[in-house]
Amino acid sequence: MSFAMIMQLIISGIALGFIYSMVSIEYTLIFNSTGLLNFSHDKLIMLGAYAFAGQFVLRMGCGYVVATIATVLSMFITGILIAKGIFNPLRNMASPIFAVIGTVIMGRIIKELCRIIWGATAFNIPGFMKGTFKFGSIVITRANTYIIIVAVLLVIALQLYFNHTKSGKAMHCVQQNKTAATLMGINVSQNINITIGISAVVCSIIGILVISLFSVSLTMTNMIGIKGFAAGVIGGFGYFPGCIVGGVLIGILENLSTLVIPSIYKDCVAFVLMIVFLLVQPKGILGHKK
Amino acid sequence: MLKVSDINVFYGKVQALFDVSMEVGENEIVSVIGANGAGKTTLMKSIIGINKTQTGGIEFNGKNITNQKPHISIYDGIVYVPEGREVFPEMSVEINLEMGAFSKKYSSAQMQEHKEEVYQLFPRLKERAKQKAGTLSGGEQQMLAIGRGMMSDPALILFDEPSLGLAPVIVDEMFDAIVEINKLKNTPVIIVEQNAFMAMSISNRTYVLENGKISHSGLSSELLESPEIKKAYLGG
Repeated sequence: MSFAMIMQLIISGIALGFIYSMVSIEYTLIFNSTGLLNFSHDKLIMLGAYAFAGQFVLRMGCGYVVATIATVLSMFITGILIAKGIFNPLRNMASPIFAVIGTVIMGRIIKELCRIIWGATAFNIPGFMKGTFKFGSIVITRANTYIIIVAVLLVIALQLYFNHTKSGKAMHCVQQNKTAATLMGINVSQNINITIGISAVVCSIIGILVISLFSVSLTMTNMIGIKGFAAGVIGGFGYFPGCIVGGVLIGILENLSTLVIPSIYKDCVAFVLMIVFLLVQPKGILGHKK
Repeated sequence: MLKVSDINVFYGKVQALFDVSMEVGENEIVSVIGANGAGKTTLMKSIIGINKTQTGGIEFNGKNITNQKPHISIYDGIVYVPEGREVFPEMSVEINLEMGAFSKKYSSAQMQEHKEEVYQLFPRLKERAKQKAGTLSGGEQQMLAIGRGMMSDPALILFDEPSLGLAPVIVDEMFDAIVEINKLKNTPVIIVEQNAFMAMSISNRTYVLENGKISHSGLSSELLESPEIKKAYLGG
């Protein structure tokens, strides 16, 4: 077992871990602002991938930059429509189960729409984010490099937005006390719309990044959807630094586990870890109390 | 400046307010007293727009604000300091104050000036400026809630049960602060209280709510002497 090989496993683990972290961030945004879990979040990631690859790149022949901008914009609008159609009308119902079922059904609708519009067979964008970078004896794929860079930029951008803009600060208020937020003059419903819009944008970015790891298909996001959830539980639910720590930890351990167990079992690592954390340390590594 | 005329408010099918009318003039302190469940908080929430009024109207400085969305009211200058304080627990005292000015576009110098004003009124908050609001004592949270209400230079300020659950010493401090706010800035004040004696002794006029109806109203000094009020609310 050479040093370079272990380093390579760790680096690709970090990249995959950042994907889990972003998934975790994307649903944490909605959870914090509405108190509801978005059970269609993995379908939104898939929709982002289909919109980018299926629609903008392959059908319309856009360049990658134009396609990315178009995907992000259309997903933001999708997010706002979802907020207006499902989250805001349903969040004040007698039981949160209404909104939860609403998001589950929406996930089905998105999946079937993708099947109707882009077909049921998996496809790929030839040559998209392929290739490698070499640092001495360590080889890193271009995709992993991009994932790490984009994830770090995204986290920084979100932090700046939340701590230094007025609507970002308003989101903190809405998270902590909706009544008081209203009394400060914050339009709570509109604020939730924007939060869900941002969450959909994060979903679309994840979708674009994972195209190079998995091919575009109707089941491409099943696993990262659940592992992103595990990342939140392990790191500390509802807390951004927890999402990042949990995601990266899962990514690295999962990859290193292939050194000792057959690699077909590596998907179990995240779930075993999640169960252990639920039993032993339910508040997660960073132990943030809500 | 505030005129509430004959409002009827319902929770589902249950009527909470019956033809309630009240008025607040310039620079006035008006108190609303009554027992638990008499409809005091409902009245405040109807003014601010959290509760919808079925019939009747509310007017503020000539503008019809009946059933206006609550987050709009603050832009008209009406601030509601809610029962139970409702601070943002995970934010520092300072940020809580800054959020009080959400409806205003202050420069950083203006923001500092407004914060200093609050700190002058409640020096305790300055000591705790960097502390999370959730870790403050009940009295300090109430100070913060009042201070946060002051940040937007309100044209009318509504206090809902500012003495709720506070030690008697702090209660005095709270009422002194309310009088001072009214004097310093000539801000008209509505104060809703179960602590009837305190509320009436600082206010110019008083409305008495009983089971959703205004049973008495008039100058506080006169009502304080009324045998009926004495018997029902002042303990003899």
